[in-house]
Amino acid sequence: MRPSFLLRKEFGNLAVIRGTVKYHLSPLEQRAFAGAISQGVPNIFWRFRQSFFYVVPPMLLSYLVYYTAEMEHDRLQRKQPGQFDHEK
Amino acid sequence: MYKASRFSPLASVIRHTVITLPAPVNISTWWNFGSLLGVCLATQIFSGLVLSLHFTAHTDLSFYVVIQSFGDVYYNWWFRALHANGASFFFIGLYLHIARGMYYSSYVFKEVWSVGVVILLLVMASAFLGYVLPWGQMSFWGATVITSLFSALPIIGSDVVIWLWGGFSVDNATLTRFFGIHFLLPFTVAGLAGLHLFFLHDQGSSNPLGVSSDFNKVVFHHYYVLKDLVGVCFFVGPLLGLVYFYPWLLGDPENFIEGNPLVTPHHIQPEWYFLFAYAILRAVPNKLGGVVALAAAVLILFYMPFSPKTSIKGLSFYPWGKVLFFSLIGVFILLTWAGSKPVEEPYVVVSQVLSFLYFFYFLLIGPLTRIQDKLL
Repeated sequence: MRPSFLLRKEFGNLAVIRGTVKYHLSPLEQRAFAGAISQGVPNIFWRFRQSFFYVVPPMLLSYLVYYTAEMEHDRLQRKQPGQFDHEK
Repeated sequence: MYKASRFSPLASVIRHTVITLPAPVNISTWWNFGSLLGVCLATQIFSGLVLSLHFTAHTDLSFYVVIQSFGDVYYNWWFRALHANGASFFFIGLYLHIARGMYYSSYVFKEVWSVGVVILLLVMASAFLGYVLPWGQMSFWGATVITSLFSALPIIGSDVVIWLWGGFSVDNATLTRFFGIHFLLPFTVAGLAGLHLFFLHDQGSSNPLGVSSDFNKVVFHHYYVLKDLVGVCFFVGPLLGLVYFYPWLLGDPENFIEGNPLVTPHHIQPEWYFLFAYAILRAVPNKLGGVVALAAAVLILFYMPFSPKTSIKGLSFYPWGKVLFFSLIGVFILLTWAGSKPVEEPYVVVSQVLSFLYFFYFLLIGPLTRIQDKLL
């Protein structure tokens, strides 16, 4: 077993940090949802724009594959010219 | 709880797991699926226990017990719809949880990842066994198709299948043992989930940035207790929506016909969550090859911890890696669609190309990300 099993990562045993400065503000002196709408909503659009060209092209290509396959299947289900010539 | 935990080992475990557990401050919604899967497992175990009180595992009785007495027993219609749709939501959660793991390279936690893949396999087995129990047409024929695959094993194949069936075809012996194993497996999964968490808490959760968060943690309670509760509401809402309004949306109408060994359905297909693997199975023209491909489609996840490591954990900072990842998502969705289609052109060729692309992702992602590491 690894030593970390015995020294599990708990508060007081996480990382050695030197030269930190801690700031603290009382919860009674701040607004809990500050900026949730004024900054949060524009952030939604920003995050959408950032991932658009990674997500949308593969999904578009997938849709094209699906559409083309369904069209081709429908075409093959119909009678083809010359399919029943041997029965004449 | 604080005072109790000083004396009680159980309270101490609970405190270290869900109360004072150090959690990264920046984990996103993708980290909600772990707890959601726990909720799904608890839901399935509870609803399954209630259903088992009124179920009889016999080929002459199961179908009628499910259809008729589940309509007569007080609120059993609700438990049945919850159990059936809960299975679908379980797999939605599983696939999204795994997708998160693949995108953010969570597989570097080798033990957590390996136990997770074992959980996936057991849940898949449990779902397959459970689907047989109502003894509808799709239950019977799905069981016949999948168990018959073992006959592809060289030398011992046919003997293995007879041993699995408990006879010379899927019959009463098969149904009774499927019920027993379906009842047992979820408790095994629960134990493995505990092991999964045990290994995870050794190192602590990763985070979307892929860097160490040891210097920036918050306590699990109440931040992530609340966040997980919000996730449960967003997850259970659609589940209950299906249960109350569209309980059979994800089901197969063929399963409302009693299982008949003499009448084969036109389109034998599993539930939606197995369709991607079904498409891969049917893509290979050889029976043993198809079985190997089917197994490999899931077992390839065991390879992920051994794939080449990147300088930065996860794909967040690898543009081409991200494009490839979302292409895999597209391939997975297309394979699910292809698995529902009959074995006709052009679906055969499309399934074969998609199956190749599915496995190709695992070969390509490592070198692609390493090229970016070398260039930068």
